[in-house]
Amino acid sequence: MLEVRNLHAGYGIVPVLEDVSLSARSGEILLIGGENGAGKSTLMRAIAGFNRPTRGEVLLEGKPLQGMAPESIARAGLRLVLDGHRVFPELSVFDNLRMGAAARRGDRVGFDAAIEEIYTVFPILKEKHRKYARDLSGGQQQMLALGQAFVAQPKVLLCDEPSMGLAQALLPQILSFLRKWAETGTAVVIVEQHLQVTAPYADRAMIVERGKVKFECPAAELDARLAAEAALEQAGAGR
Amino acid sequence: MLSEIAIIVIRGIAIGSIFAMIAMSFNIVHGATGILNFAQGNMFVLGGFGAFFLANETGVAWWLLMLPLTGILIAGLVALQGWITLLPLRSSVEQDSWLISTVAVSVIIAAVLMITQGPFAYTVQGVVPSFRILGVRTPGAYALSIGCMVFWFVALRIFLRHTFVGLAISALSQDFDAARAAGLPVRRLQIVAFAISGLMVGTAGFLVAPVISVASDAGLRYVLNGFVAAVVGGIGSNLGTLVGGPLVGVVTMLTAYRIGGAYQDLASLFVLVAILMLRPQGIFGRVSARRV
Amino acid sequence: MAISETVGARGAAPATRPRFSSDLQQVWIGVALIAVTGFGPSFLGNSYWVHTFQLVNIYIAAAIFQNFLFVDAGQKSFGQGVLLGLGAYVTAIFFGLHDYSFALAALIGLGAATAGGLLFAFPALRVQYFHLGFVTLSAAIVFPQILMSLDRWTNGINGISVSLPALHQEIFLGLSPLTILVALYPMLALAIHYGLRRSRLGRQMRVAAISPEAARSLGIKPGVMRFIAFVIAAIGTGVCGILYLPAVSFVSPQGFNVELSFVFFFAVVVGGRGQMLGPVIGIWIVFILPNIALAQFVEYRLLIYGVLTLVTVMLFPDGIVGSIERWRSKRGVTGRGEQAFRVDAFLEQLTGGSDRQPVDEVVVEVRGGTKKFGEVVAVDKVDIKVRRGEIHGLIGANGSGKTSLLNVLSGLSRLNAGSFFINGREATRLAADRIADSGVGRTFQTPRIFPQFSLWDNLRIGMDARTGQPSPDIARLAEALEKEFAEDSAELLSHGQRRLVEVMRTVLKEADIVYFDEPAAGLSSSERANFARLVKFLARRMGKTIILVEHDLDLVFNIADTVTVMEQGRVVASGRPEEVARDPATQHMFVGGRRA
Repeated sequence: MLEVRNLHAGYGIVPVLEDVSLSARSGEILLIGGENGAGKSTLMRAIAGFNRPTRGEVLLEGKPLQGMAPESIARAGLRLVLDGHRVFPELSVFDNLRMGAAARRGDRVGFDAAIEEIYTVFPILKEKHRKYARDLSGGQQQMLALGQAFVAQPKVLLCDEPSMGLAQALLPQILSFLRKWAETGTAVVIVEQHLQVTAPYADRAMIVERGKVKFECPAAELDARLAAEAALEQAGAGR
Repeated sequence: MLSEIAIIVIRGIAIGSIFAMIAMSFNIVHGATGILNFAQGNMFVLGGFGAFFLANETGVAWWLLMLPLTGILIAGLVALQGWITLLPLRSSVEQDSWLISTVAVSVIIAAVLMITQGPFAYTVQGVVPSFRILGVRTPGAYALSIGCMVFWFVALRIFLRHTFVGLAISALSQDFDAARAAGLPVRRLQIVAFAISGLMVGTAGFLVAPVISVASDAGLRYVLNGFVAAVVGGIGSNLGTLVGGPLVGVVTMLTAYRIGGAYQDLASLFVLVAILMLRPQGIFGRVSARRV
Repeated sequence: MAISETVGARGAAPATRPRFSSDLQQVWIGVALIAVTGFGPSFLGNSYWVHTFQLVNIYIAAAIFQNFLFVDAGQKSFGQGVLLGLGAYVTAIFFGLHDYSFALAALIGLGAATAGGLLFAFPALRVQYFHLGFVTLSAAIVFPQILMSLDRWTNGINGISVSLPALHQEIFLGLSPLTILVALYPMLALAIHYGLRRSRLGRQMRVAAISPEAARSLGIKPGVMRFIAFVIAAIGTGVCGILYLPAVSFVSPQGFNVELSFVFFFAVVVGGRGQMLGPVIGIWIVFILPNIALAQFVEYRLLIYGVLTLVTVMLFPDGIVGSIERWRSKRGVTGRGEQAFRVDAFLEQLTGGSDRQPVDEVVVEVRGGTKKFGEVVAVDKVDIKVRRGEIHGLIGANGSGKTSLLNVLSGLSRLNAGSFFINGREATRLAADRIADSGVGRTFQTPRIFPQFSLWDNLRIGMDARTGQPSPDIARLAEALEKEFAEDSAELLSHGQRRLVEVMRTVLKEADIVYFDEPAAGLSSSERANFARLVKFLARRMGKTIILVEHDLDLVFNIADTVTVMEQGRVVASGRPEEVARDPATQHMFVGGRRA
């Protein structure tokens, strides 16, 4: 579904990402981990068109996206949910969800169905649908941000740090929503700091270090791989 | 004495309504783009020229036809200007080129008007007859001015809160990146915002042409007073312009009657400096608290 | 503690490296151009060109001050013509109408221009950006109206004629005193601009213009910087007005309408914003082209100004000189790529004192601190105590409130409830610059690096932020850094290295209390090891108190004396690293046997 090949990107003339390749298949969740500053967010932003890649390709169902504006990429079916539960604070919850339909105008029936589904998964959004988004808690704002993306029914969903600023207890609820979403045939990429909590929901995992892919493995093996890498580094440092 | 107060208040509010409309037209563009269009005053005056050339001393029906036409022409012109202004912002890191380009456009429009129309102020015949209120004969255009302000305030409120495009423009002003991520066609929406601001000042200029100075060099005065009205009300607050505009209007009118017509602009400059020193966020403005 | 393994890791820069800034060369070219046009016509005896270039050179000087205001202070003024007009008109009134001596009248004129500048400067204390654009434009529109209305004092529309034959008398080689004065003044203006830019004040102004929050955390008040800039520009432009009077011998309201202000503004844009030579080239094009070369189309003058400016902004936004300069700096690579900036080679400069341990004196304390953004609680009833000389690790997931807390502690945002104390004094409502001046330094997650500055000047901002004399160690360190990085660009540095530059700034500032916001993000493991040693050195040898927000838990647990864990804005654990590591509340932070 999503294929990223040899991507190079950065801010201004400062390179951040070097030669990053990844793929996300439909129905699957790819988990991306790595330290702050490793380039995870830059990777998400470069795929979604916020940073223009200096080299490399981003392919959605084989069609190149690199160089397109973010809004066009969203309309092509690749949706990024930014980190920090960003919603439109002065719009009502319902109007926030409506904005999600910008990437799929004209499909009234599908829109209504999607809204109903969101309200079933996150009943609190239905309860507060006339309230301003600024009056929601951080966790509720994250649900709203995901709901807005869900309404668009993208082929690929990129989700940057869904846990940021949320109570730990909320994360499983959000992750299982993403899991179910993926199983409807969407390719989902999650950038997350809480690897241990997230890994069980993911199919594959990838670790980014200093702008490069360090390794990729099945999500179930992530813990073991990290432990092995850590041991290797310890040994290296001990010498 | 009493009649002088009545004149000051009625005309002040009416002239202030013009400032309020210009302020509202600032707000919609500023919200969507972060730009304050320095050429907005010239666009308003062009609306006045529209009335002079298309509908001076004609029948009411023709006049009613020319009103939307002028509005649409100016809307198109402002949309074009918006498109040009936004071009360098697409790639450049530096985001304040608009300040220079909108001032340059304002100078260009004034210069073209000066070359083609000369330095004179044109008189436009009003279609709506004058009437008496509180014993004061008042040109009909003053009533049109206040009506136009109310119309645009209500229209904008409905548009921004209840239509998809309007909500999307509000969304742009609240979180630009999130709007792009959601797939909102940001450039198109920004141009629409420019066009609406043009429609507002174009129709306003057309309607109040009989009582304003339809002259090549008048644009800057209106853009400044409009800005003062916007700052007094709080930039971004259309409700604020309903207070800010008439307030500035009454202050300038009072100055004109009590001190002299030449000091009107000085008075609004003092209002501007005072509000910036005492309450820079304006009456209805909120101190912006964006997270770091 | 020996930090000397990389002594002299890199040799001195080769002598042929291009200079980072071409400011000085541009000043000399500017001086030469002004000299040729200012003196040349007199040597040739062409009085038309003598007269023309007198006015051109006065306008160049005014544009130079506009340039300073525009770029060095970041303020867009559309009202510089008013200040020139005030200088000229008030001098004319006192000299021409009231028979004061020219010197005295000129002094009063200068005072008037300065007072006019205060009209711009006072709002600048509170607001900036387009607000001041409108204030200044408004003044430019009002000024000629006032000159007309106050005809009792100004002679109204008839203007004032003056005659100063002494200034027009040739003294040698066809030069009159006036010709010499109006040629020397723009040269002086260039020198002043250059000197300001190289001074501590000038650097601080630019920092304030580019990044107000970085400026405040370095003890700079951005409003005061804007105020000073407007006053300097007003005085400089007022002098132009005084020179205008004998050069033109006549003032009238029409001479000082808004068009004059536009000429200065547009000249700076067309010539090249921020370039020393920009105003010279700009005035030549914007003023000479329509007024002299195309004099028969004089009514198209305004149109030409507008079109020239619009075309410049659209097609080459750097202006003429700026575009050439960009081409020059592209040719000579002025940075040294990825590994350009390393701190280890310089640490041996800091011999430091003896080993110190944290003492039981609390220097930073938060009591029930709460910070909200709307309904989102970023910092929730936090209590923290930091001892003097300790390395205090602050850890927690992204979004748990660490950076929000640092922003509060540096005065960049205010607590909604609770209080905090620095060195025992309440600082809850203190402005950021006051907190910085009381000995606090910080770095940012997104480093504030200024590509306009050389790498050394980027570091030097830290020296500028000092409140006292540097210790001999720091002075030596600064000297070494200057030698190495004076001609380097900071633009190519990686994000990790940019953070190190900010760290070094706080070292040069000799802040007693330092907040590091994820300083190790993006660093390699060897850079990390160096950084860890630097932090230990700062605390153990120099007695600094350090709050370290960091995600690399290995790093934190290795060097911290105390670790505080935040979650959801609250403190969930705090204590010695061993204790915190055992605390059940922190177990989930350790994945796969690794602290990630």
